[in-house]
Amino acid sequence: MPGQFLTLLGASGSGKTTTLRLIAGLETPTSGTIHFAGRDITDVPPTHRDMRMVFQDFALFPNLSAYDNVAFGLRLHIARQRVARHEIDPRVRRYLDLVHLGEHAAKMPHQLSGGQKQRVALARALATEPSVVLFDEPLGSLDANLRKAMQVELKRMHRELGRTFVYVTHDQDEALTMSDRIAVMQNSRLLQLGSPEDVYLRPNCAAVARFIGAANIVSGTIESVDARGVRVRLGGGGAVYSAAGEHGLRAGTPVRLMMRAEHFVFDRSRAAEETSWLCGRVAERLFLGRSVEYQVVLDGSDETVSVLDQGGGSAAIARDGRLEFGIGWAHARLLKE
Amino acid sequence: MAAPPSLRRRQRREMLFWLMPPLAWFSVFMLIPYAMLFYYSLGSVDYMTFKPGFSAANFVRIFTTEPYLGVLLKSIKLGLITAAGSAVLGFPVAFCMAFQTRSAVRRFQLYLLVIVPWWAAYLVKAYAWKTILGTNGIINKGLAMIGFHPLTFLIYNQTSVALVLIYIFTPFAVLSIYASLERIPASLLEAAVNLGASGWEIFRRIILPLSLPGVIAGAIIAFSLSFGDFVAPALVGGADAVMISNIVINLLGVAFDWPMAAAIGIVVIVFGLTLISISGRVEQRGAVRT
Repeated sequence: MPGQFLTLLGASGSGKTTTLRLIAGLETPTSGTIHFAGRDITDVPPTHRDMRMVFQDFALFPNLSAYDNVAFGLRLHIARQRVARHEIDPRVRRYLDLVHLGEHAAKMPHQLSGGQKQRVALARALATEPSVVLFDEPLGSLDANLRKAMQVELKRMHRELGRTFVYVTHDQDEALTMSDRIAVMQNSRLLQLGSPEDVYLRPNCAAVARFIGAANIVSGTIESVDARGVRVRLGGGGAVYSAAGEHGLRAGTPVRLMMRAEHFVFDRSRAAEETSWLCGRVAERLFLGRSVEYQVVLDGSDETVSVLDQGGGSAAIARDGRLEFGIGWAHARLLKE
Repeated sequence: MAAPPSLRRRQRREMLFWLMPPLAWFSVFMLIPYAMLFYYSLGSVDYMTFKPGFSAANFVRIFTTEPYLGVLLKSIKLGLITAAGSAVLGFPVAFCMAFQTRSAVRRFQLYLLVIVPWWAAYLVKAYAWKTILGTNGIINKGLAMIGFHPLTFLIYNQTSVALVLIYIFTPFAVLSIYASLERIPASLLEAAVNLGASGWEIFRRIILPLSLPGVIAGAIIAFSLSFGDFVAPALVGGADAVMISNIVINLLGVAFDWPMAAAIGIVVIVFGLTLISISGRVEQRGAVRT
């Protein structure tokens, strides 16, 4: 979809970078075809694809200044009569200003910091005004603060320029905060394609749930099925009601259940009607500042569940204490394996 | 505290111990000979006996009298021709090794082809050119078989000396250029392709500028080695292609003018060292990478 911010998310070796390189034409597929805007571009050479890439190592030309790096693609466009010579200077200046590097135009790449190189690489990719900008883990080599700042800036640029961004990362937080849509990949296969809310709240399999956010995944057996959901009996005796009746499941089927640590509630009086309650022994209590994390061993089983208390509802239960917590039926999700 | 200084002293003593062999080697084979060379160059000769002195007369003679000045300039000219020839011939080979080989095995084979000639003695290789270019060499024998007169311009002139020197020193240029090409990250070439650059544009705007330090360094190595060469002019050069080292040999063995020979030696060494330090600086500048 044009103008979207699509992220390919996956662990290293999941094929996300290869996918990006296939889109850019830097790799040739052994089978299958690549379509772009309704056209088969499998055999279009990379130089003639309307896509620009921001490389992981920035790949700035060390023999050219920041200005000349940004002008590189534009100057090539003169020969193809897509840009007039007099347009180049204002265009380069505009994009250098856009990435806040106006004063550093004359500097050579080795005189720039990591963040500045990153910006030059970005300006270079944007300057020819391609319809798609591809990013190969562009923030991977920056430190945490800079990464956060660049994330905000990339998002702003995406909004202002209205171009399609395809972004590769292994950082789930980055993917969740920046994307319109996320494609979760594993072992060269697409697991799920959806909005950040989709992949976080409604993962379609255990692998996606495990990869994005800290998910508790416990196994159990379906006890009963009704019109609105299913009741899952956990190994240790507890039961959880889940809103996932659409699978056509039958009682007795073994299933996996996903519960996010931050979705647990503690106050019975304020909990929604369809809330299942579980009980366990606190094996570890971790104070995280804004919240407290409990590692709870469920009663009658050896499965450990991570429970996050963000409001103080659990009132400082110590190690080896007992914790009772509930999960709303919409937040307890059945997963296919 | 007493322990740290004594520890440091012991470390220093240990370091000195390990530095002894290289220092001794350096003194015996470099410092003392060069000092002697310099000492000789300031003296003079009288009835074939050495007279110590402190005069720059020999150096003045090198730059003012024939044949010294003429031969020095001719050596520089042949050195420059060799440098340019090696770089121009070496570049395609290095380029092939860096970018056109599909496997490491193929690259190694090419690499072997470049360095295998170095397993044979220089003298033998230079002599082999005599059997190719000479009056009774294979080219003229072949021409004679089809009824032509032997070509005399093939050997014993500056062209034949330049040819042999280029043949001998091109491998140095290849390795130096290859080293600089190999350092160019693949992502740079991909970035250029991604920005729409054709093969020729990538070569002209990225590969050539980035490999220039290697090309210059290779050319300077070829120059400084060929400039002081005496084998090629002695074997395939005639009276027209005498080079500076041949003069030195004559001064030592025939004229017994050791001070003059020493002075020429000093000039050649200073010239070579200057070039090598320039090449080092050029390479350092090229090494500044993102």
